[in-house]
Amino acid sequence: MDKNMLAGLEGLPEEDKARMSSMIDHLQLRDSLRMYNSLVERCFNDCVDNFTRKALQKQEETCVMRCAEKFLKHSMRVGLRFAELNSQAATQD
Amino acid sequence: MAETEMEYRVELFNRLAQTCFNKCVDKRYKESELNMGENSCIDRCVSKYWQVNSMIGQMLSAGGRPPM
Repeated sequence: MDKNMLAGLEGLPEEDKARMSSMIDHLQLRDSLRMYNSLVERCFNDCVDNFTRKALQKQEETCVMRCAEKFLKHSMRVGLRFAELNSQAATQD
Repeated sequence: MAETEMEYRVELFNRLAQTCFNKCVDKRYKESELNMGENSCIDRCVSKYWQVNSMIGQMLSAGGRPPM
């Protein structure tokens, strides 16, 4: 998620812009932390099933790395499409 | 009000990303790249999710409360 997704700030007075901007920063921080947590949970659930050992096995490590990279790439792509649809919707209104 | 709107957008994005990942990406994680099929699926999934989102938004604003 970045500020492009929330387009429409241009027309606002300066103090509102500043307030919205800091709100966006706050939301981005919260969102990053949430993403971190859900990514860990997802990749753990999808990749780790074996509890005969304490240490992660090599294939589990590989799986987790791929899972995380894949989700982040996916998330970026979704972000692009989301921004496109957002701006289409904005021009239609 | 704008804050609520922003939170809604963030929530929408997150749910959309989760849902389309679940629907489109093979959980075996054979590689770290998204393949062409997954890319197309993601684009279409986002588009459809967006349409469903609009439909429901319209239904709710036209009908008022959803029937219980």
